[in-house]
Amino acid sequence: MNEHVNPVYLEDKLDEIRADGHLSYRSKSLPTWCPGCGYFSMQEGLTIALNRLGIAKENAVVVSGIGCASRFPFFVDTYGFHTLHGRTMPVATGIKIANDALSVVAIGGDGDAFAIGGGHIPHAARRNVDITYMVFDNGIYGLTKGQTSPTTAQGFKSKTTPYENLDMPLHPLMMLLSYRASWIGQAYAGRPHHLAEMMTQAIAHKGFSYLHILSPCVTFDKTDRTYGKLNMQVHDLSEDHDTSDLIAAMQQASAAEIPALGVYYVEDRPTLSEEMDEISRRARNAPPIAE
Amino acid sequence: MEQPRVGTDIQFAICGSAGDGTIAAGDIMKRAAALMGFKVIAFDIYPPEIRGFGKCISRIRISDAQTYSLKRHSDVLISLNDAHAIPHVGEVRDFGAVLFEDNSIAELPEGGHISAHIRAAQVPYGFGIREISEKATGLARSRNIAALGYAAGLFNMPPGIFHQIIAEKFAKKPRAVTEDNTRAFDAGVEAAARVFKLDDVSVGRPLSAASGADAVMMTGNGAIARGFLEAGIQAYFGYPITPASSIMERMAAALPREGGRFLQTEDEISAIAATLGAGYAGARAATATSGPGLALMTEMMGLGVMAEVPFVVAVSQRGGPSTGLPTKTEQSDLNLAVYGGSGDAQRIVLAPTNVEGCYRCAGMAFEIAETYQTPVVLLVDLYLSNRFETVIPPRKNIFAPKPRKTPKMGKGEEYQRFRLTESGVSPRSIPGEAGLTHTVTGLEHDEIGHPSDRLHNEMNAKRHHKLLPATHFPGLTTQKRFGDSGKVDVGLLGWGSTFGEILETLYTAQGQDIRVAVMKVVMLSPLPVDEIAAFMDDCTHVLVPELNFEGQFANMISGATGRPVTRLTQTTGAPMLVDDILAELHRLIDSPAPPPTSSHRTAEGVRA
Amino acid sequence: MASPLHHVIIGSGSAGFGAAVTLRKGDPDCRISMMTMDSLPFYNRYDLPQIFQGRSDWRDMLAVPPTFFDENRITLRRHNRVVEVDGVARRIRLAHQETVGFDTLLVCSGGRAYVPENLTDKLPLMHGMGSYEAVMRLYRDLPQGGHAIFIGGDMIGIDLMLMLVKTGYSVTLITTPQTLWPHEVSDEKRGKILAALADKGVTVVDSARPVGIDAGSDQGAARVVTLEDGTEINGDVVVPACGLVASVEFMLRAGVDIERGLLVNPELGTSNEAIWAAGDVCQIWNDEDKVYQFCHGWKNVRIMGELAAGNMQGTHRDFDVRVEDRIDLDEAGNIVSTFWEH
Repeated sequence: MNEHVNPVYLEDKLDEIRADGHLSYRSKSLPTWCPGCGYFSMQEGLTIALNRLGIAKENAVVVSGIGCASRFPFFVDTYGFHTLHGRTMPVATGIKIANDALSVVAIGGDGDAFAIGGGHIPHAARRNVDITYMVFDNGIYGLTKGQTSPTTAQGFKSKTTPYENLDMPLHPLMMLLSYRASWIGQAYAGRPHHLAEMMTQAIAHKGFSYLHILSPCVTFDKTDRTYGKLNMQVHDLSEDHDTSDLIAAMQQASAAEIPALGVYYVEDRPTLSEEMDEISRRARNAPPIAE
Repeated sequence: MEQPRVGTDIQFAICGSAGDGTIAAGDIMKRAAALMGFKVIAFDIYPPEIRGFGKCISRIRISDAQTYSLKRHSDVLISLNDAHAIPHVGEVRDFGAVLFEDNSIAELPEGGHISAHIRAAQVPYGFGIREISEKATGLARSRNIAALGYAAGLFNMPPGIFHQIIAEKFAKKPRAVTEDNTRAFDAGVEAAARVFKLDDVSVGRPLSAASGADAVMMTGNGAIARGFLEAGIQAYFGYPITPASSIMERMAAALPREGGRFLQTEDEISAIAATLGAGYAGARAATATSGPGLALMTEMMGLGVMAEVPFVVAVSQRGGPSTGLPTKTEQSDLNLAVYGGSGDAQRIVLAPTNVEGCYRCAGMAFEIAETYQTPVVLLVDLYLSNRFETVIPPRKNIFAPKPRKTPKMGKGEEYQRFRLTESGVSPRSIPGEAGLTHTVTGLEHDEIGHPSDRLHNEMNAKRHHKLLPATHFPGLTTQKRFGDSGKVDVGLLGWGSTFGEILETLYTAQGQDIRVAVMKVVMLSPLPVDEIAAFMDDCTHVLVPELNFEGQFANMISGATGRPVTRLTQTTGAPMLVDDILAELHRLIDSPAPPPTSSHRTAEGVRA
Repeated sequence: MASPLHHVIIGSGSAGFGAAVTLRKGDPDCRISMMTMDSLPFYNRYDLPQIFQGRSDWRDMLAVPPTFFDENRITLRRHNRVVEVDGVARRIRLAHQETVGFDTLLVCSGGRAYVPENLTDKLPLMHGMGSYEAVMRLYRDLPQGGHAIFIGGDMIGIDLMLMLVKTGYSVTLITTPQTLWPHEVSDEKRGKILAALADKGVTVVDSARPVGIDAGSDQGAARVVTLEDGTEINGDVVVPACGLVASVEFMLRAGVDIERGLLVNPELGTSNEAIWAAGDVCQIWNDEDKVYQFCHGWKNVRIMGELAAGNMQGTHRDFDVRVEDRIDLDEAGNIVSTFWEH
């Protein structure tokens, strides 16, 4: 039954990769992540996505907070802003508002996004600011060497939960769905081609897109969110899922312990910049407001 | 040297309950006076409550010559609500006028009527304010305007100018509102024509050659907003907070018209974060807040210093610490504005001393921020934010941005965002500029911008030294000396709104055969140390009056120059009184040597 | 310690002022409130004619500096009209709806100008002379060398008339039954006094009843007074000078005895032990003649105020109603009146 498979030669493959062009989005700096970290596939995914979308390097701005994931901007050759812990959303908003021509990608980990930065996400989402937010969720504080995060599973033992974590973890997809982010999807670091495709769609979306990326922390989580476990559990959203149906998206998001991968929800509505242009139009047509 | 004042110098105080139209009446009065060609300084105090309770008082000083603060004694008090106005009767000078309702419809307890509190030397004008309004309009609602008309009639101010201002003020309302208020005003004028004027308050013809039409009545906050707009601000992000909100409200109304972008953010952290983001992306961006908001913003301020991002933060101080006194003035956020945050994070802090200064500093703030690639704090306080002054803006916009220069790279040259240069200022590219991509960070970094602690000392020095020339920024008054030249008995060093009272103190003291000089310091960081030290060399005593408990500016001056100063501090929530500064000045002159002492109104001997 | 007594004085003329000073001397702790419709602190009404000699700044007119009130802790409440006095609950009610309690009340509200009944509707066309502001209005409205018409010639009016003729104005006096009020004199003396007035330059129109006052045309005289016989007299101002009637309207429900004025015993107490009266407002019991009588005249009024205040604080002194009441001509032909003594 086995068909004949043509051999793949390394040099041919490298030529193919170089010709593709996405490598030019990499910076000279080598990533500082631990070997085997899921974040490597994200670096690859983003460079592929930017390349596919034909976004010039100087027109891309990668904004990050603080954490392992937030080191990201240093490893790509675009404009980058490594900001403060939890503040990617407002900084990215300010950059986008200042220049609509820029493609702004915000990147953070689960702690940066949902612990310290959790207050900003609903507002970025509801305003539909035209940026992409990619949260690399490994359920751990890796940079500070292994404390629990808001998405850490119950029962997990860490340096800050030596007697097990009893807190219920947050459900980022349900949160973003209730905030009505206008594009919501999930990907997995262990499926890099799918990840690159999802990143491409997220960046291409007009409006606030949220991509949740499941990733293991190979250093500090040997038990819970491992490649082995995730590989067993991840599955695709059913093909007949209606991405315009918010309630269906919520049902899908809450159906399994590890929700399915794919696009949950897409909505076309005016972006913050479009709203602001509309306000400007109204302001110009209205009599001046006295001081 | 300022000549002794002649002609008109009248201060009106209009006091009532929120909802009486007190502030509106004051507003009409100040605008009318400005249109007449007078210099106007005005300050409104209103309660935090929205409506119904709480005292409002509007004080308006109108004069021929520029003045620098309100007077301690008002010439005229108009009471729209006796319960609130009674405590203010004492501020009316001898032979000044008190205007009040003598036909109340509410039962008053003994002493509940203002007539029980007017001193014999003051002149009472009791009249039926409500009755005048009701007769003219059928409603009591125009009581404030009727009282204003009575005052205008009594002090012989031209009704036509008031009609014009009333029409402008109510232009948005149905026409009947303008008509009713005009009728109520005229009825007030007519009522005043029947009374016998006994006070010695008189409003003359303005001496000022500048026509009233060129003068613009602005609050400090309005001036900041205007400066921002003339400087071509492109993005404003803010979160409401007293007493800075009016800057935000002005931006919300005016910025979209100019094609700029305005966003009310979810908190102060996001306000400054978005401002920093926009500044990083090359826009002229600003936010405004008060002390509690600035406390939240300090981390982002540090990032702005570290990542060398230009943006502007206007801060209007109120009483603190914590939520403090939201509707009272204070100058206690100096330390926070200058030093707030982690690490050595020197930034530029400008503290204008009057409304025109607010306008100029706000107009130049972006250029300064861009020149030195750093956040600029514009530090004012509630008293300056809310007080009105007449400003005559230049006819030509002098704050418009100059075209940006993209850094030029030699062939094969690697772009270094944080290159160590002689001036400390590095070539800055912004997103969208090809060949100059880079990442900035709050981590200490090398010249390229990559995280590294190798050059920490050099980078600290660069961030520090690049700011020093700002003390001589072209076209900006960073400090200025007034009064006697050469050696003086007492020199007063002042900053912010208190400088108005300091200047008034100078003019009073000069009539008393004392050698005195004053210096205002507008740039609080970096501090123009050389000029301050030279000024102090000339002074036997140096007195530093300011509205905070510790003497934060005095500490700064003392620390920067290594010389003793005398503190005069006060935290009553009110501006400092000229009389109090004068008294301290006399105490110093009478004391033999210049000891480093402190004087605090509410807690004597706390400091030595 | 008992709370300090609150003495309320209605009126700020010489009776009221004299009373306030006496009360303060007698009791350093008491509260003193003076209610007056006037705008000014205390000045002597008899000084008002001097306005025509250029003493027109009210600050020069004051009998004491304004600080006197602060120093003596006398609460002077101007633009205050008392509308009612409750003698039982011991409180007064002011037109602006404020109620003020008192321990003792001294009514020194004086009198207001009497106007003949047939002319009361012409009041807006007349100039009063009872207050600083009134006389200032007169001063303002009377052109230099202008013509003032006095209806009646009470002693207050005669004082002013003499000042006017002395300072270059022309004056016509239309006599009424109240001429020379409050003096009651023989026809012969009346004739002599009127002749003396004429001698000083006053045009005396005797025994003619004024029946009308009209505002004149823009070009002509400001005022036209019509006499019963149809004669018209043109002038610039018309001044009623027919004596005073006690201002007692607000006392009608106070529960004290009133005839034309407040009836008081020789100690100046009314029928309510907490209420006293002094000055032109009161009629004092004359035990000899068994009548209540007015005792007008600047000096009498002042003495009454001081005496009533003393009695309010427990002294028991009678006001001697046998006051001198005399009008005459001196050797130089000048009018001398006990009314004018002060």
